[in-house]
Amino acid sequence: MTQSLVKRPEVVEPPPAPATRGRRRGQGVAYLFLSPWIIGATLLTIGPMVASLYLSFTDYDLFEAPSWIGVENYVTMFTADERFWHATWTTTKYVLISVPLKLGLALAVAMLLNRQRSGVGLYRSAFYAPSLLGASVSVALAWRAMFSTDGTVDRLLSSVGLDLGGWVDQPQYALYTLVALAAWQFGAPMVIFLAGLKQVPRELYEAAAIDGAGPARRFLSVTLPMLSPVILFNLVLETIHAFQAFTGAFVVSSGRGGPSDATLLYPLYLYQRGFTDFRMGYASAMAWVLLVVVAVLTALVFRSARRWVFYAGEDR
Amino acid sequence: MGRMSRRGAAGLLVGLLASTAALSGCGSESADGSVTLRFVWWGNEDRAKVTRAAVEEFQKRNPDIKVETEYSGYDAYFQKLSTQVAGGAGPDLLQLDRGTIGEYAGRNVLADLGEYVGKTLKVDKIPANLLEGGKVDGKQHAVAAGATTQMLIFDPTHFEAVGAKVPTAPGEKWTWTEFADAMTKVGAAGQVSGTTDFGWAIDWFEVWLHQRDKSLYTPDGKLGFSAEELTEYWEMIGKMRPGKGVSPAEVTTKMDGSVQNSGMVTKQAASEIGYDSGVTGYFSAYGPSLKVAPLPSDAAESGMAAMPPVSFAVGQRSKHKDAAVKLLDFLVNDPEAGKLLGASRGVPPNEEVRAQVCSSAEGGSKAVCDYEVAQKDKIGPAFGAWPTGSSAIKRDFQRTYDDVIFNRVSVADAAKRVIQDAEKSLGS
Repeated sequence: MTQSLVKRPEVVEPPPAPATRGRRRGQGVAYLFLSPWIIGATLLTIGPMVASLYLSFTDYDLFEAPSWIGVENYVTMFTADERFWHATWTTTKYVLISVPLKLGLALAVAMLLNRQRSGVGLYRSAFYAPSLLGASVSVALAWRAMFSTDGTVDRLLSSVGLDLGGWVDQPQYALYTLVALAAWQFGAPMVIFLAGLKQVPRELYEAAAIDGAGPARRFLSVTLPMLSPVILFNLVLETIHAFQAFTGAFVVSSGRGGPSDATLLYPLYLYQRGFTDFRMGYASAMAWVLLVVVAVLTALVFRSARRWVFYAGEDR
Repeated sequence: MGRMSRRGAAGLLVGLLASTAALSGCGSESADGSVTLRFVWWGNEDRAKVTRAAVEEFQKRNPDIKVETEYSGYDAYFQKLSTQVAGGAGPDLLQLDRGTIGEYAGRNVLADLGEYVGKTLKVDKIPANLLEGGKVDGKQHAVAAGATTQMLIFDPTHFEAVGAKVPTAPGEKWTWTEFADAMTKVGAAGQVSGTTDFGWAIDWFEVWLHQRDKSLYTPDGKLGFSAEELTEYWEMIGKMRPGKGVSPAEVTTKMDGSVQNSGMVTKQAASEIGYDSGVTGYFSAYGPSLKVAPLPSDAAESGMAAMPPVSFAVGQRSKHKDAAVKLLDFLVNDPEAGKLLGASRGVPPNEEVRAQVCSSAEGGSKAVCDYEVAQKDKIGPAFGAWPTGSSAIKRDFQRTYDDVIFNRVSVADAAKRVIQDAEKSLGS
């Protein structure tokens, strides 16, 4: 091959930027503007985290100086505390049921709201509203009233012949009150799903339709794969949230986790150990166990993502 | 903010830190030398109303002391209190009960009132057994805010309707069998349960134990009862459940000892076992037709005792202990305060004030005074203070009872579990 006649343009390196005083000063200003956050994070997050790690190896009753006992809290937790295992199991159940339910609802409603109809904005706001009320005490109180014996739900179900009594007063149903409360607050994942749905190119649907795919097929072969990164995001976020659920259980059971420990979620038990039994060292140890468990589970979800999450531009 | 040297930025950071630090250390002494106290208690609306009135009176007499008051329900109160005390923002004057005096004094949260007794804090008119309830390791850490005793409060209309007799006159008594019969009759009428299931609260089990010369805790802070005794007690109550002599499980599980959540006030039971310090609350929440009767007993011993229903204590870290003690002394000894407070925390602890208050009492307060007079010979001396760990024991007792009423565990196994849990709590 002869040498090309076309002369290649020479690559001109931009001159290296001199390390000016101005740039350094710019860094200083940046740090200055960041300082409120840095101070906040240090004093309100990182500091307390380190403190709680230390406390988890002590016997600390909130009022007197902590005394070092090594790993005893952890040993007791895993070997001699039935309620710890019970709370772990309760939370596991809660996560396994409430997260898929919440995500399913969020996706279903997002699909509905993805149509171009008049007044869709109003519906969007209406469906999002419960999440704004979030984990507030007032909602949980209303929930407790609705699901108690002779409450709204009890009467509604009785009128169609389902005589279950009040959910919050019965050990076999109480947890589902909390699941329902979580599912009802599907607004945040819904909004994210909606944004994801808007990203799916219309041509794909048209192409699929031409190939004779019905609505179900289109959903399975187009919508879900295209949404998978968003599903992953919501799944991770909601799982972490569900493990930390506290307010609903606390309010519905007046802080006791009853009836008969049916609503004793892990964070609620942690709270009881810390603030009603005055065993803050033990509670700190529980908090760290929860942190590690959630971190491991999140890592597992991310690993599994290689199999089912599809990013646009990848070959499959 | 043009040029900013590194030193300037550092200076600003230090300044920011200093200002946040300054914010966290807030004093409660204002420039004119006046003092602000925080006084907290738990209880219902009617207790709050009269307590505030008494505090108003105190402030009128002591213009240099301001009192901020806070109150809430029992559970919420202790949730807040432990958090505040741990954070160094505990109240100056607080209300505690038997279980919690031991918990808090044992952890050095309460001031030793010894140096004030007989000086700014008069206790000579308060019966010795009431004062005893505020002592931990022989030191006065709390002072009884009243005197109370166990009782059954009931709505006579339900009992008259089925012809069940409840003894209320002085000297009258009844056995557990008679009690169960009366309750089952009311339950059979189908309107409400005879009485709120009382098996959840360790307090009433304590009375039952005393009727047999036993006690919940031994003087040296060990458990004083066996699993067999608890089994027998819970089985006795269990026999009343099918016939609606006692409230069904889904009502019982909601009990927390507060008047507003009680099975009786929510009209699910015709009677309820409680302390007579709660009577005024029942009168304002339920209605004025209520009557008060003694607890049943199969022995000569009634098992009932004169107890401080709640006590006042001063925070160990309070900056204004003198002023707090002044308020405490006013609340328990002042005739005017006694008149305002009535029987909202049981009858007044100071005997002179008590006589005065009872002579002109009406409504709920009168019912309490009458009951205390009628049962005078039956009420024994106060039970001892509960040891550290008793809060957890009380809670575990209720939790295990939940399992019993929902048939998730046999009574015998539940009783064994209570003993195991309690020994763990006492050991810690």
